[in-house]
Amino acid sequence: MDYRDTPEEAEFRAVLRQWLSATIPAGWDKIDDEEEAVELRKEWHRTLYRAGYVGMSWPVEYGGRGLSPVYDAILNEESGNMNAPSLPSVGYIGRAIFTYASEEQKRRFLPPLLSGEVSWCQGFSEPEAGSDLASLRTTARLEGDHYVVNGQKMWTSGGQYADWCLLLARTDPDVPKHKGISAFLVALNEPGVTVRPIVIASGEAETAEVFWDDVRIPEEQRLGAPGEGWRIAMTTVAYERGPADIGFIAAYRRTLRKVERLATERGLLEQPETRKALARAYVRGEVLRLNCMEQLSLRVSGRAPGSEGSVAKLLWAEAEQSLQHLAMDILGADELTGVADGWLSSYFTSRPVSVYGGSAQIQKNIIARMLDMPR
Amino acid sequence: MLALLSDEQQMLKEVAVQIAGSAGPANPSDLHTRDRAAAWQSLAQSGLLALRTRDDEGRPVGSGVEVAVVAEALGAGLVPVPYLGSAILATELLALAGAHDEAEALAQGVSRTGVLLDRDLSALARVPGDGPTYGWDVDGAAAALALTDSPDGPQVVRVSLETGFVPVAGADLTRTLVRSDGPIGAAHLTPVGRPLSPEDLQRWEALTLTAISADAVGVMRAAVARAVAYAKERVQYGVLIGSFQAVQHMCAEAYVSAESAASATNYAAWAVDELDPTEALMAARTAKAQCAAVARDVTETVMQVFGGIGQTYEHIAHVHTRRALTDRQVFGDEGTQLLRIADVRLTGE
Repeated sequence: MDYRDTPEEAEFRAVLRQWLSATIPAGWDKIDDEEEAVELRKEWHRTLYRAGYVGMSWPVEYGGRGLSPVYDAILNEESGNMNAPSLPSVGYIGRAIFTYASEEQKRRFLPPLLSGEVSWCQGFSEPEAGSDLASLRTTARLEGDHYVVNGQKMWTSGGQYADWCLLLARTDPDVPKHKGISAFLVALNEPGVTVRPIVIASGEAETAEVFWDDVRIPEEQRLGAPGEGWRIAMTTVAYERGPADIGFIAAYRRTLRKVERLATERGLLEQPETRKALARAYVRGEVLRLNCMEQLSLRVSGRAPGSEGSVAKLLWAEAEQSLQHLAMDILGADELTGVADGWLSSYFTSRPVSVYGGSAQIQKNIIARMLDMPR
Repeated sequence: MLALLSDEQQMLKEVAVQIAGSAGPANPSDLHTRDRAAAWQSLAQSGLLALRTRDDEGRPVGSGVEVAVVAEALGAGLVPVPYLGSAILATELLALAGAHDEAEALAQGVSRTGVLLDRDLSALARVPGDGPTYGWDVDGAAAALALTDSPDGPQVVRVSLETGFVPVAGADLTRTLVRSDGPIGAAHLTPVGRPLSPEDLQRWEALTLTAISADAVGVMRAAVARAVAYAKERVQYGVLIGSFQAVQHMCAEAYVSAESAASATNYAAWAVDELDPTEALMAARTAKAQCAAVARDVTETVMQVFGGIGQTYEHIAHVHTRRALTDRQVFGDEGTQLLRIADVRLTGE
């Protein structure tokens, strides 16, 4: 057991820190304009790619460096520590493609995904298929050498900025619902695709809905076999909620420091209750970090992410949401009167953490299944 | 970075789990019939009492990780022997004070020594003093260790439990508690070894908090496993109660809580011998705070899953709860740990 970096990891971290401090664009986090912010994130993706920091844990044959996922975690951690722009999330789409795609699809889709030339979103949830994803109704009907897609997707994060979409659609209505779903790789500029941003409670357009009207997809853009969509989706979400997203831990620590400063500025540090609450928030962050390190270690030792990711997801949501409650308690009226700018938005942004990527209730169902409880 | 037990540590775990399995109670009534002396001998023969004695180079025979592995297994088994009190807390104090022969005697299993705690069980007692003191985890021990001030720093002293101490019907049915109401005078104290440095004390406290946390993790994990197993066999309304989502979510929440405590404790266990004493202590306080924060809820949830039978004295559930409540309190509850953590985070103390 060793929680420290190996000499190789330490070397990598040192070089990375140097690179980050020289490369992070000044003032990037002061950009208010959403379009400009998106352009900056895309440019940051390309910059990271040129420096070899995208897809490090992917196999070399698919453009990765074949490194252990620990290096992704270090990149995440240091990006958070040094307040770099958010990292591109290529991992889960990439995993789906290099696990299930044909050689030709891999050659076509992986390089531009890695380099940031093409950005992707995930067309899974629907208005009537949220937690019960397998009930999705969007259909893909095979007509000759094309599928024709009709339906509506929802909670397609980044849909308004993405070029391509990993789409789940029903190809066979006559088999049990988990078995009739297939996955597709689709360009969002195809005729018949309409993307509409969804404004969440904070007032920000965080996600999108996507409408599909007779969209034609060539058969060779189906990912995996017909009916294999559910398996592909489960692989994808396992990596999505897994510990490789350790970047949220560094972000959490930054927010905690901000909340500590709030309490200091408001002269609350003498109150034992405030001191305890701040320490509690620290403990939650540590518990989350250490749980993720254990999960990462399991993955490094060769195990695919399993249901244990659900534990981290629940811990994360609880930590994030409690921290926003604490900020609210410290700020009092100022969070509601607009005096403390940005905190109300942070609060509302913390609420869907227990909804997206599988709601807290779904995570508990998954854990119950892992405990082999009766169905 | 690799935050996993090594193969050797995994084997140690298996040994400890095996001993715990034969020495722990399946029902509270077993507590009167289990052969505690035999369990202690098994631990001694397997070398598990010697983890905190020092080798020829002065290093602990077993690291904090090994201590946590054994403590967790014994906690899980609700094993009624003074492993923490004698084999870890007292042995480490003796080793830090340089009293290696006495530490060795404890490791051999020929004698046992506990620790003396202050009135609210939150720290090692400072003697001489007036208030009540408690000998904790002192089954079979003739003496307990405390601290006294000396010009060269805190000095470990042995206090005889033979006079002035009376047994207490404490909450914990698996670890022995005794109390002295009278003042403990200087005449009753026997200095042991050399005075401790501040770093020694920090290191000792880090190990202590970690070992107690590991015990609590064991108690919680075993309790959750029992509840889950019960939910798979208990039928109501014609179905297994484990098929109800309400019951599933209770169990899932308790599981997450226990695992969260385990993650913090594993790191603290590694930190004991690998990080600076201040960092090790911070990690240990974090683990103890997390364990204390969840231990009561977890064991209460387990009692709830067992329903009516889980509220009875003859059922094992409350034995978990009692041990968990004790682990929560000894050497400082959640609030105590959080205030110390806040001192470091907010004031840089």
